Amino acid sequence: MTASNIPESVRAVAADGTQLRYALMELSAQYPDAIALGRGDPDLATPPHIIEAVKLAVRDQRTAPTPVAGMTALREALAHKFQTDNGLPVDADNIMLTTGGQEGLFLLMQTLLDPGDEVLVPDPRYTSYDEAIESAGGRMVMIPTDHEDAFNLRPEAVESAITPRTKALLIVTPSNPTSGIVTEERLRGIAEVAIKHNLIVISDEIYEKFLYDGWKHFSIGSLPGMAERTITLNGFSKTYAMTGFRCGFAAAPKNFIRAMTNVKAVTTGPVATISQWAGLAALNGPKEPIETFHRIYSERRRLMMDGLLSMGLSFSDPRGAFFLWTNSSSVGIHATELSYLLLKEGRVLIFPGTGFGENWGGYLRISILQNTDLLHEALERMRPIINRYRAAH
Amino acid sequence: MTDLQAPETLARPLATRVAGLPEAAVMPAGAPIPDVVIAAAVAALEQGKTHYTDRPGILGLRQWVSDTLKGTAQINLKPGDITITCGSTEARFVTFKRLLKPGETILCPGDSSRILGAAHLIGLSIVTTAADPTAVRLVYLTPDVPAAERDSLLTQAAAHQWWVLWDISAASSDFHPAQNTALAPRVITVGSLSPMMPGWRVGWMGGSEMADKLRAYKQSMTICTTSISQWAGIGAVVP
Repeated sequence: MTASNIPESVRAVAADGTQLRYALMELSAQYPDAIALGRGDPDLATPPHIIEAVKLAVRDQRTAPTPVAGMTALREALAHKFQTDNGLPVDADNIMLTTGGQEGLFLLMQTLLDPGDEVLVPDPRYTSYDEAIESAGGRMVMIPTDHEDAFNLRPEAVESAITPRTKALLIVTPSNPTSGIVTEERLRGIAEVAIKHNLIVISDEIYEKFLYDGWKHFSIGSLPGMAERTITLNGFSKTYAMTGFRCGFAAAPKNFIRAMTNVKAVTTGPVATISQWAGLAALNGPKEPIETFHRIYSERRRLMMDGLLSMGLSFSDPRGAFFLWTNSSSVGIHATELSYLLLKEGRVLIFPGTGFGENWGGYLRISILQNTDLLHEALERMRPIINRYRAAH
Repeated sequence: MTDLQAPETLARPLATRVAGLPEAAVMPAGAPIPDVVIAAAVAALEQGKTHYTDRPGILGLRQWVSDTLKGTAQINLKPGDITITCGSTEARFVTFKRLLKPGETILCPGDSSRILGAAHLIGLSIVTTAADPTAVRLVYLTPDVPAAERDSLLTQAAAHQWWVLWDISAASSDFHPAQNTALAPRVITVGSLSPMMPGWRVGWMGGSEMADKLRAYKQSMTICTTSISQWAGIGAVVP
């Protein structure tokens, strides 16, 4: 990396994917005209029926603390959702609320891992997984995925990484950062591996409602013999554009849920009650907002794909989620430096691939969470910078 | 539905640390929420403040913490040294987890009920007296600890480089350990809005030379604290 012009605030944390992303966001805040295509925070408004339900709960003083696992009505509604949407054989006692999906992962690792236990993690990955695993004394073992395979996870790659210390496998589908998915066929193969080697499977499905081009979401926990060894993590943040409510949820065998609940009680306490009312309204309300969001994201995704192709940039097949995992190696400079230059010279915030693993200096993660006018503008700002540095290298 | 449990073939389904944790209990409901909190929450909802806030928490609330510490205890903490947390529970856990290692010791001369679970999870010991001051890494103090005992412990904290967690989540005080400027870099203050608005999960932590590290750890757990709760909190505390 030719990092001579990267500010110290960014360079100092370049080896830590999470801190690198935050450093770039803080740098971006210095540019009022910056277009943020970084963080995975939907720009769309939370659906009005959710807002109205929370206002009513607040005005009715229904804000007292709930049981740590969450209010019963919401856990029952989530059990129904998991049964009907995902095919999981669960009831309310298999469900708990978490303070966002990220906390679900943290609680789970604290609950599962003893020092030295290994967790298999697809690479590239959302690096907050690193912190959750390492914080519990666990060790990440990377499972390679690749561009040509649309970053799908291969059962044989999983099996070849298993050691006597392997305790769990993490699956993220659709994926952040690649927007790839793990297809049903692969999940069936992975389930066989998990049962054969007696692994726990953690399935992060927070982008489940946003798949494109006819791809369908599939939950590994629905396969025979898998529900009792699978913890499914999800949340309301992405599906309903309500990241600020910090309301996620987990479905798991009862002994896992009970232990995770006890961990949650001593680390953060229950999810804010108003957020649980928001979640209940989201589940029980109309589905049209999700369909609307999906249509909007589909349009933006197509716009961004066309724009990147017109610049000579390729990307892996974005089958889900909100991102374009873009191969920037043709530009000739390291992704961390390229991200900085796009921000400094073009006022466009894009995360480098190194924000998602040290091996990804030839990739950018570009989010589509801005309106189409801003996406057009971002592409026009990026184009001369990409062309200039490509020509210079 | 089936009675879904983890398979018995898993040799160690759960981590060792979760055995012996207290069973989760429901927090007390408290008094009715003040009208100003309701009004602030409704206004924030109508303004669409339903997305992530900045990682440290909204500036107005951190400024209030800063002003309050200045006003009550003459402590100068900048808003940049303060992080809004999911209740004081998260603040205490983050402090212990980030500053201490398994096997290390907390000195707690008073009520330890707020820290027992977090200490167990991390693998920390709690002692009530400093029989061996060199074994202590952190002293947990609240305003309930008698002044003479508190001052004696703070003298030892300075001598032995202990961390000091000053917990004012349940009671305020015009005393503050960081009034001793030599101690200040090792003093973390924890507070809470729960007495006024339980169930909204708003607390805070501030100060020490590790403030940035504590903030980063909180971010890794929960990203930020519930946005509407933070805006409602401003309604609760800012005139």
